[in-house]
Amino acid sequence: MPQQKPQSAQQLFYEPISGHAFNADLTQIVVSNSTPHTHVMKRGADGKYTEGHVLEQHLERVTSVDWAPTSNRIVTCAGDRNAYVWNFEQESGTWIPCLVLLRINRAATTVRWSPAEDRFAVGSGARLLSVCYFDPENNWWVSKHIKKPIRSTILSVDWHPSNHLIAVGSCDFKCRVFSAALKEMSDKPQTSLWMPKLSKFGTLLAEFDSNNGWVHGVKFSPSGNLLAWVAHDSSVNLVNSNSLEKVHTVLTSNLPYMCLLWLSEGSFVTAGHNMSPDLYYASEDGVTFGAKLDVKKEKAASGNMSAMARFQKLDVQGKAETEGTTLETTHANCITEIRAMESANNKVTKFSTSGKDGKVVIWDTESICSAIAGLKI
Amino acid sequence: MSKATNSTEFRTVDVDAYDEDNYEDDAREANSGSQEVTERAGEVKKLLNLTKNTDALKLALQNPPIGHQDASVKEQNYETVLSVLKAFRTPEIEAAVGDLSDGDVDVLMKYLYKGFSCSPDKAAALLLWHEKVVKRGGVGCVIRVMVDRKGI
Repeated sequence: MPQQKPQSAQQLFYEPISGHAFNADLTQIVVSNSTPHTHVMKRGADGKYTEGHVLEQHLERVTSVDWAPTSNRIVTCAGDRNAYVWNFEQESGTWIPCLVLLRINRAATTVRWSPAEDRFAVGSGARLLSVCYFDPENNWWVSKHIKKPIRSTILSVDWHPSNHLIAVGSCDFKCRVFSAALKEMSDKPQTSLWMPKLSKFGTLLAEFDSNNGWVHGVKFSPSGNLLAWVAHDSSVNLVNSNSLEKVHTVLTSNLPYMCLLWLSEGSFVTAGHNMSPDLYYASEDGVTFGAKLDVKKEKAASGNMSAMARFQKLDVQGKAETEGTTLETTHANCITEIRAMESANNKVTKFSTSGKDGKVVIWDTESICSAIAGLKI
Repeated sequence: MSKATNSTEFRTVDVDAYDEDNYEDDAREANSGSQEVTERAGEVKKLLNLTKNTDALKLALQNPPIGHQDASVKEQNYETVLSVLKAFRTPEIEAAVGDLSDGDVDVLMKYLYKGFSCSPDKAAALLLWHEKVVKRGGVGCVIRVMVDRKGI
């Protein structure tokens, strides 16, 4: 069996990809390519995804997509301030849209299904979070708003594994945790370190200041005890629910990260403007940088350059060493989303990234670990 | 055509002031610390006279008056930092930047960019510093200058 490559890229579009998500068995991917259309693509025998269905209903650019793996439903949200839930109808073989009443007056920016898949959250430029659930009496999706104290556009949302808590990262430089327990769904939330006493829907449970950066991405760890977020001041932040006042921050020397994904309880991957996924370790003491995961291709050995060639180069380019014009990362532009694909023993073994270069890249953590000496996830 | 058509006065209207949804920064920091800035300026001068340039640089970058309401206080601290930067000779810069902590590097970068905008005639000297600071702190500290809203 040939050794699997650490990463495999596919150029799905030439437009920026605003979001992607997989179905339960990874045979299909839903991708929005910054147009009003959303593409559901099927995986072929060669592992490449090719065009299947096109979901046409939005009037403006689709900004985010999510696929509920168990109930097999897709949700999309767009700049036209609407969201649609798509159900696959077996008889006709088509995706049937269902409008969601978001009641917002600015573009929707991000959407995520809750772990139980009975509700989803939509962040928007209207400075509020819409938590949507299905109302069987009227046969539509209705939304409840969390307004206070969000003061700017929401850029990212993430659900706690308990299904009753939600983390929100926004443009007002804050990362917040809210209660999302709905009495309409007869929720019975459990008290936890995040929610010391039972709190009703929309209660602000925690608020973290993120220096000066817009919070681009926020994620709970698999257990839900840790919360990490990345912001536009190139920072990576971590907080443990048992000491909420202590925020661990690493101000990196890279360009800002846009998104992150927990690989295990002790490590997560971040990616963004520097075009490569980076590994970070989370521990009691804080966050530490692990490694750059985009394994560089072997450079062609330049060998010994003759003195004449060296001076010639120096003369033409005005510097002794050149970084060259060849791109050393798999992605050719900013990475905007990371998704987990496969897990084993509570560790993500395969994840995917998509970005503004129109590529979706699938990363295999085991072969990355074998390619980088001493790397553990 | 009416006379009002030619008026360009509307261009100077601050439209953001009429936007109820406009984002407002958190309350600025208290109006204290001006004395600290003055004292520091004196101590930095002493260190420079003793040619302890690296110590002077470290001291000058301590606790800057970020977001101070009084612009003259910020200006005074900027002058202090600038006087230290001028005291260095070019070959000494790299070692001095290498000695700084991560937080100090971020502050220094903010002062360099303030220098580019406030005194462009000194930009050539500041660019020498800029090169070494980028080498030390990466593009991350440039990004943090760009996103800083409070001003230094």
